[in-house]
Amino acid sequence: MLAKFLLTLILALPLSSHALDLNWAGFGTAGYTISDQAYKYQRFIDDQGTFKRDSVIGAQVDLKFNQQWGAAVQAKLAPSDHSDSQWQGFLSWAFVSWRPTDDLLVRVGKLRVPLMLNTENQDVGATYDWARLPVEVYSIAPTTDYVGLSISKSWFVQEIEWNLDAYTGQATNYTRYYGREIRDGLSTPGSWFEKLDVRSSGLVLTARGLDNMFRVGVHEATISQPGGTISDIPYRPLAPGVGIYDLASGRNVAQLVAPFQIIGASVLIPGDIRLTSEYAHIKITSASRGMTRWGAYLAVSRQFGAWNPYVYYARTKSSAASLDLYRAINGNSNPMLPPALNNYQKLGADIVSPYDQSTSALGTSYRLAAHSLIKAEWSQTRTGIASSLIDAPSGGDSANQRINVFSLSYHFTF
Amino acid sequence: MRKLIIWLFLIGICSATLQAEEALVVIGHSALQKTDLATLQRLYTGRVVSLDQQPATPLNLPPGHPVREQFLASILGQSEEQYSGYWLVRRYVGKGTPPQELPSPEEIIRSISSTPGAVGYLPLSKVPAGSNIIFKR
Repeated sequence: MLAKFLLTLILALPLSSHALDLNWAGFGTAGYTISDQAYKYQRFIDDQGTFKRDSVIGAQVDLKFNQQWGAAVQAKLAPSDHSDSQWQGFLSWAFVSWRPTDDLLVRVGKLRVPLMLNTENQDVGATYDWARLPVEVYSIAPTTDYVGLSISKSWFVQEIEWNLDAYTGQATNYTRYYGREIRDGLSTPGSWFEKLDVRSSGLVLTARGLDNMFRVGVHEATISQPGGTISDIPYRPLAPGVGIYDLASGRNVAQLVAPFQIIGASVLIPGDIRLTSEYAHIKITSASRGMTRWGAYLAVSRQFGAWNPYVYYARTKSSAASLDLYRAINGNSNPMLPPALNNYQKLGADIVSPYDQSTSALGTSYRLAAHSLIKAEWSQTRTGIASSLIDAPSGGDSANQRINVFSLSYHFTF
Repeated sequence: MRKLIIWLFLIGICSATLQAEEALVVIGHSALQKTDLATLQRLYTGRVVSLDQQPATPLNLPPGHPVREQFLASILGQSEEQYSGYWLVRRYVGKGTPPQELPSPEEIIRSISSTPGAVGYLPLSKVPAGSNIIFKR
């Protein structure tokens, strides 16, 4: 509703403008990815290959009414955020901006959270050299979009531009779950999507030089659902020594508060070597408490003409308590229990959403022209106790897996 | 005699090099005052949008134009690839669009004379008499 209102506002503003400056640009990625495993990884990647993990096409229109007032709309077509089989159009950005002075920028509308170093431009593959941003870190936030208000204050210390961004807003988004035996409401394996209302606020400090960038941010998301959210999965004894972890007995709360923090840097060191590293941590006290986790990566790259080879290592891990809970529920299989109850335990374990995995990647980008590049990457992901980025096969789990992934993609802007 | 020929040869090379790098001048609409290097750098990277507390409109020559390349290298300290890459990211993080591009120095001169707040760069030899020079390199 608010997005519609803002879109109407953006479209109405030029009518009162004397000198409208309109710019538009497009972007896209055609990306093919294949792994050596039959199960799906990151929703789409398996040994059959897929174009759905990375492919996207979009366009952005920038309007400048005068030096103070402007607006931007960005739309994209990409795989749906609430279906594994459909594609969907998204309105990524739709905002009106006001810059009353050089050092103040106010934006109102649909915006993207300034989370990690590349969150705001993550759909535009031509703006970074990796085939895919490290999922261990870039999947950590409950939302990357919001409809609301952003205020950015900037100042200079010598050649370094400092920005302090404050934002607040809300968004509806979907969290994907995968049940390897049964899923929510169905007695077959598969994915489902929980619709969540997320109100988020945050404060982000960024320093940018010609070659270097640093960012630190503190954020808080308040998550709610119609009918409330289950905050834990208690153990319910059925007989001496026999019991189940029962979602239905969990405490229902109206909303959850999830604080998260990020810190990141991208610096050019002697030898023209670029080091990039980011760390993120989030705490979510719900039945899906495996989402309480940290993620980090370190990437090293160096440009050789049109080539930009890189390596990175990324890791994410849920809190010890949530991994213990996952193991307890996942291991609570008892031949005395009916199969439906044993499957119910697997569902409970899947809903905990544990993360324990690392990825090593080796890749390169090659710039074909100013506005197009190709990227190739080989990566190997290893899991520990479990990883909710894997759709675990029926009868098994996602522990101790090794997934080799090869990606080839073409990125362009115009 | 041979030393003299070598010296003349070297002096010839040096003067040819100097001639290739003609001085750059930044001119602005009549009301604008002189500015400094740091402010120009910020103006052409979208980090400031005003000069002398009045709205400013930076103008660029198109990519590949030798004067633009000289401006990027000597004023902004960037290559074309770095500058285009900078604006590519800045546009897609919702922080503005790159300066307007005009096809030739003559178009820049025309636009500056008719647009309050407009700023552009030219080789010294192309600057019309009476122009408001706000920065000289």
